[in-house]
Amino acid sequence: MASINTPAVVMDNGTGMTKLGFAGNDAPSWVFPTAIATRASGSSAKPSAPAKPSFLNTPNVAGSSGSTGGSFGTSPSPALSSIKRDMADLDFYIGDEALEAAKGPGYSLHYPVRHGQIDNWDQMERFWETSIFKYLKCEPEDHYFLLTEPPLNPPENRENTAEIMFESFNCAGLYIAVQAVLALAASWTSSKVTDRTLTGTVIDSGDGVTHVIPVAEGYVIGSAIKNIPLAGRDITSFIQTMLRERGEADSSLKTAEEIKQKFCYVCPDIVKEFAKYDNNSEMFAKYIIDTVSGRKITVDVGYERFLAPEIFFNPEIASSDFLTPLPEIVDGVIQASPIDVRKNLYKNIVLSGGSTMFKDFGRRLQRDLKGIVNERVSRSERLSGAKSSGVQVQVISHKRQKNAVWFGGSLLAQTSEFKSYCHTKQDYEEYGPNIVRNFSLFNVPR
Amino acid sequence: MSQSLKPYLTAVRHSLNAALCLENFSSQIVERHNYPEIENKKTTEVLLNPMMISRNEKERVLIEPSINSVRVSIKIKQSDEIESILVDKFTRFLNKRAETFLILRRVPIEGYDISFLITNFHNEDMLKNKLVDFIIEFMEDVDKEISEMKLFLNARARFVAEAYLSTFD
Amino acid sequence: MLLLQPENLLIQKTFSKALSEDYIPATLDRVITDFDFTAYHISTPSDKTGILLSVGIKCWADLIAHGTLELLESIYSKYSSFLQILSDGNAEPGYNYGLYLELGKVDLQNGEEIATLISDLSLLKRNCFAAPFLEAFGRYEVLAQEEPVDPNNIYGEDAPNNSKEPVIALGYRDNESIFIKPSNDRVTVIFSTIFNDETDKVFSKVFLQEFSDARKRSIQKAPQVINSHHDIPLEIQGLEKENSDNKKTYITFVLFPRHLSTDEVKWNSITQIETFRSYFHYHIKIVKCYLHQRMRFRVQSFTKILNRARRDVTEEELRSERKTASGRRFEQRT
Repeated sequence: MASINTPAVVMDNGTGMTKLGFAGNDAPSWVFPTAIATRASGSSAKPSAPAKPSFLNTPNVAGSSGSTGGSFGTSPSPALSSIKRDMADLDFYIGDEALEAAKGPGYSLHYPVRHGQIDNWDQMERFWETSIFKYLKCEPEDHYFLLTEPPLNPPENRENTAEIMFESFNCAGLYIAVQAVLALAASWTSSKVTDRTLTGTVIDSGDGVTHVIPVAEGYVIGSAIKNIPLAGRDITSFIQTMLRERGEADSSLKTAEEIKQKFCYVCPDIVKEFAKYDNNSEMFAKYIIDTVSGRKITVDVGYERFLAPEIFFNPEIASSDFLTPLPEIVDGVIQASPIDVRKNLYKNIVLSGGSTMFKDFGRRLQRDLKGIVNERVSRSERLSGAKSSGVQVQVISHKRQKNAVWFGGSLLAQTSEFKSYCHTKQDYEEYGPNIVRNFSLFNVPR
Repeated sequence: MSQSLKPYLTAVRHSLNAALCLENFSSQIVERHNYPEIENKKTTEVLLNPMMISRNEKERVLIEPSINSVRVSIKIKQSDEIESILVDKFTRFLNKRAETFLILRRVPIEGYDISFLITNFHNEDMLKNKLVDFIIEFMEDVDKEISEMKLFLNARARFVAEAYLSTFD
Repeated sequence: MLLLQPENLLIQKTFSKALSEDYIPATLDRVITDFDFTAYHISTPSDKTGILLSVGIKCWADLIAHGTLELLESIYSKYSSFLQILSDGNAEPGYNYGLYLELGKVDLQNGEEIATLISDLSLLKRNCFAAPFLEAFGRYEVLAQEEPVDPNNIYGEDAPNNSKEPVIALGYRDNESIFIKPSNDRVTVIFSTIFNDETDKVFSKVFLQEFSDARKRSIQKAPQVINSHHDIPLEIQGLEKENSDNKKTYITFVLFPRHLSTDEVKWNSITQIETFRSYFHYHIKIVKCYLHQRMRFRVQSFTKILNRARRDVTEEELRSERKTASGRRFEQRT
């Protein structure tokens, strides 16, 4: 089969963004929102055709028990008959084009992935269809695919994914990897990593939510996972609030987002940082926006430069219901993991996702976490009288943090063994969809 | 609706109504076990005569009653290659989701496309006449769905072909 | 998306970015694919302002035998001041052909020219495949001159000496080929394609039937489509020995003079014909996606009916169900 030589396709469909590309590349070829804009069915006020929730709400057209289910022939449900007549199932956009299309009339925007898990399979199937044929331009029969899934994804979801990939697209082979494991693999590019293990704690902070996931030997320790309801979006809105309070000329979400990406960093000590700003006015930055009309708007950037990322370490400044700082959460997660892997989990804390990109984020986390750990060690030394060998705490930052999951996938999928770990279409046909419940783990090259 | 469908469905309905007279029955072979007797067929005295209702050579229903369970197997109409592949696809899709269907048997019995297994426990927490309604509706809808899918396939093929060929102008 | 786009969006994106005004040169090293085992590699081999676009095509040997190099030369040499063509031995190892773009030297003035350049680059695959078609079209013109079409030949029978005309064969995929045969009044293009999946095979029959019927029904201007399923068409019987296990399906397109009249029409015909196989396979997959959608909807409606059969357990009934170990019921004393 010629599919042996073609590069594998790596697809990471996140809640907010989808990363698409080919194995072996250093960055995804396409990064766009996991959004799909579908044609809202015609002039009638009916809900949009393929949205699943609307199926559920669709009142039973013929209420009597005789022909309710058979609502097709006699009184067609609005959803399906409309697809049949026009080619509505071909009339949709994904990614940036979807956002564009949804601005106009006639299209409605949907996000098929919710909280990391695929929520609407109809939309997801079409999303993939366009991803493959339009954006990647590849014949799925010729390529192996690596898809990602969040930790604790139910096996049924895997089966559904496999059903689509194999039955609709006939893809040559499929591997579904856990995002956290791929993030660990991505950290191998860092010079700090000496042995390439699949054991470590992954801090994955995207747009919606931050996960802390302990992984031992490639297996996620599901019972110890913790989620933090603070992530990129919260930081952006924090900046936005500060801009508004000061009455800046422009306080749109986009401006706040830009300021976050360009100016924010993590400081070692807020009090000192405030003093630094007050003594030296050069610390205040200016952000200049070119408006469409050609006018330039200047926005002052002040304390939010270091205050915004600080919400990870002092959540009380932004949120009133979540108050535990990130280092404490990480410590708690590792303490909840089996005792024999804890040392390795402390030693290999890996960052992934856009919201961990702030300068010195890793350093601050490492310092705070070390403080917590050292205190515990010295307490136990005091109580037991025995000398501890100490616990090494190391947070690993690397260049590929932003698309770490995708990059890890690209790294693993380009290895020569990758294809032997995949389930092929022949396997699927022989054993049925439940083969995808198990994937053998990558042997870690040493 | 063709002439023969109604009597066919009526026959199935009445037969099912009669067959769904189930009671709890503990296994006589293994202590403290409770099998659907129709499945292991070890206690012959509690099995009743199976009946087959045929509409034509391509469509039939097999009802196998026993003291605590009834197995209903349906052979769906397949008049050509396309229909049989669609039926195969559809039943496979349903079987994969057997969990949500409670009474669906994961593997159809031989010679049939889809099987249901109704035990006395199902009969206890579901209304009998509604269960019968479900089977009847299922039979109606499957036929409809298959022919709709076939129509769609043809319509789409035509559309796709025309769209492609019209670019040559 | 109904029709597949002939241009490669990733190449388009990369070069539009590189040729925009505010481009910050960066190191590139990317693999990109296209249909039919076409692989691209975009890289910056020496410094960041020189972008190399390499292409590897499975049937390259077949293509260059029919003048692909000359055609590419004629398309890309107009940019020769900043675009260097690397062919034969000069191409990157593992690839067949390369175009080296030096950003610093690009002297295109207006946006339109830049857009043309970008589109020329993103259509590289189509351009590679175009040469054999153009060769056949040229041959047709010669033949048509030598032996004008007999107006009495109302049945459109093939002139006898046309059968000697050599057939161009392109092995564009494993075991799948494109055959092109010129004659004095038409150019015949035959695709052989394989469907591995049983479902696809059945669906493909429906599609092919519609392809051959579509012309009769409404679109008279289209090329004639003949599907011969598993029988090897007459034109290529010398080339295809046997159709083992009847796996291959043959589709014949007959391009008439109207499809070969002007350059514009010719290129359009090539662009469309070249994407046929992908288009065909793509739509069969879409149909399956849509059927999934329907089936999901069906499953939901069936579950709804089944759930309606469930007995509503009332509080009253629950109470009467609760029994002591010995089988006694609780009774409320009033």
